[in-house]
Amino acid sequence: MENLTPNMKRTDASIKSAHSTESEPSLKGTFASVMMVGAFLLVSWLGVFLLFLARS
Amino acid sequence: MKLHRLEKIWLIFGITMLGVFLLILGVQAFAMGMHPPGSEGHQSIDPTKVSETPPFDNPSLRQIGENEYEAVMVAYAFGYSPADMEIPVGATVHFTVTSSDVIHGFQIPGTNVNMMVMPGEISRISHTFDEPGEYLLLCNEYCGAAHEFMSTRIIVK
Repeated sequence: MENLTPNMKRTDASIKSAHSTESEPSLKGTFASVMMVGAFLLVSWLGVFLLFLARS
Repeated sequence: MKLHRLEKIWLIFGITMLGVFLLILGVQAFAMGMHPPGSEGHQSIDPTKVSETPPFDNPSLRQIGENEYEAVMVAYAFGYSPADMEIPVGATVHFTVTSSDVIHGFQIPGTNVNMMVMPGEISRISHTFDEPGEYLLLCNEYCGAAHEFMSTRIIVK
């Protein structure tokens, strides 16, 4: 019993730490990059579309 | 499946953007009848008999309605027939074009008129000339040694 407890504690702690790193990764940088690519697509698409409308 | 909050935001953003683009494309194609040149009723022609096949036996600009014209044209190395056409301001011109030799381009810079002209195929495109002036009509597909001289003008008065 005495041996088990510290083992269990260690397991709990490792599960907890693994869980916290999986569920809370910081995606702010990825989000900003994705939005920049999205903004570029949107602006270039709108530019071409408005040029097409202006010329037709 | 658990998604990060930011992941959900960018997925919604991306899918919405794609949806909007496809919606506009769909409305233009099915409700407004916009198609790539030549896709409305595919027509072919024997490229070796262009000069004998109507209407290309007599390439010309014909009036088909009030301020509406049909330009039957043949692109060849290195020019267009008929050349130097004159039309009134506000005229809608339906270009019906084929090639008697190799692949040519058909572009009027500053307008949406830009298509390929292929031997054996009949390409069509329409444009309304609302502004007076001299429009350049040129070949934008390399077609041979004098490709850069292949152009003509459309005069809108």
